[in-house]
Amino acid sequence: MIQPQTHLNVADNSGARELMCIRIIGASNRRYAHIGDIIVAVIKEALPNTPLERSEVIRAVIVRTCKELKRDNGMIIRYDDNAAVVIDQEGNPKGTRVFGAIARELRQLSFTKIVSLAPEVL
Amino acid sequence: MTPILSVAHSSPAAFGRVGVQSIVQCKSWNRCCLRGIQEDESQPPAFPNYIWRKPVPSKFSRKFRKQHIPLVSRRGEEDSFFANVNEEDDGEMYDKLFDKYGKVVYSSGDKKSAGDEIDDDAESLSFAVAMAKVASEVKAADIKVLFVKPLVYWTRFFIIATAFSRPQIDAIGSRIRDLAETQYGKVPSGDMKPNSWTLLDFGNFLALVNKDIKSLVTVLLIWFGWHIVLSGDVVIHIFLPQHRAFYNLEEFYGNATHIELPFENQQPPFRP
Repeated sequence: MIQPQTHLNVADNSGARELMCIRIIGASNRRYAHIGDIIVAVIKEALPNTPLERSEVIRAVIVRTCKELKRDNGMIIRYDDNAAVVIDQEGNPKGTRVFGAIARELRQLSFTKIVSLAPEVL
Repeated sequence: MTPILSVAHSSPAAFGRVGVQSIVQCKSWNRCCLRGIQEDESQPPAFPNYIWRKPVPSKFSRKFRKQHIPLVSRRGEEDSFFANVNEEDDGEMYDKLFDKYGKVVYSSGDKKSAGDEIDDDAESLSFAVAMAKVASEVKAADIKVLFVKPLVYWTRFFIIATAFSRPQIDAIGSRIRDLAETQYGKVPSGDMKPNSWTLLDFGNFLALVNKDIKSLVTVLLIWFGWHIVLSGDVVIHIFLPQHRAFYNLEEFYGNATHIELPFENQQPPFRP
């Protein structure tokens, strides 16, 4: 359950380390975002000498949430952290690799590029 | 019974095999909590409410090293235990640990036989080669077909191709979509807009839903005259050259088997 002011880890090698959600894309007054939703976020912490800088406003796709993800077959998946992958306006990831395990629901939500770059898909 | 998969993602390599057919208790998770709801009170539960993974000695843990490795051999680089541990031994060690401590906590039950799997692979291969040929006809360069099924469970084949402009990407995508729809009855999904990385995903999108819903959807689609092909997982990536070098998918899937294409070694037609 990601909402504005939520801090998220960055699960790629784009250079950003920590994000803060400032808006959820999708509806005019949407309260929470879940896995596979696009958010507008501000970079709170970034690595030096990388294209992304602190206080830059970017778009990101949520790939892990502490809130449980339920599947039709009764399986429930929850992660230890909230994490997102930075994307550009075209939807391409800004990093070249995704870290950690991600859920396969991202493929159904047309984020197959992120799934292709991930080492493990649950 | 509702299994809850609690995922600790301390390192990307810390995950074991979590396949499409079964989800197994991971080997290297820091903790793995499983919760079972007892359906019949008189019967003992299938597994206890909470199972904490037995502490498995990591090869880097200080306690394990103290117990199992003499101090003298730890100091020497060449004769040390760690110098002899390579990637294959790691895999064997994890397999042994998994056999000893691992446990299958969920199995989807729709496991295919080996013959069916081979048939599906062959069908996907013919589809992938046909798609690669179409891309070649529209002047896509450096086409590679990779058999990635042993590496990832969610697809069988990757086709990676380079186009030199966005109109060309559009043309390649359109030709592939048309052929797939007319000849194979498949409709792609994915990010199909002709940008620097266009992706066409010919996959099985009923993989997530349970068996009953899957069969119901299949019957409904056939009822309404749709020819549905559930197998045939092929993902096509069309890149601009600089983006292909940037993402470098060939390196990421470096262990995948490269499929030889029949038209690769053919000479271009002579034009006077």
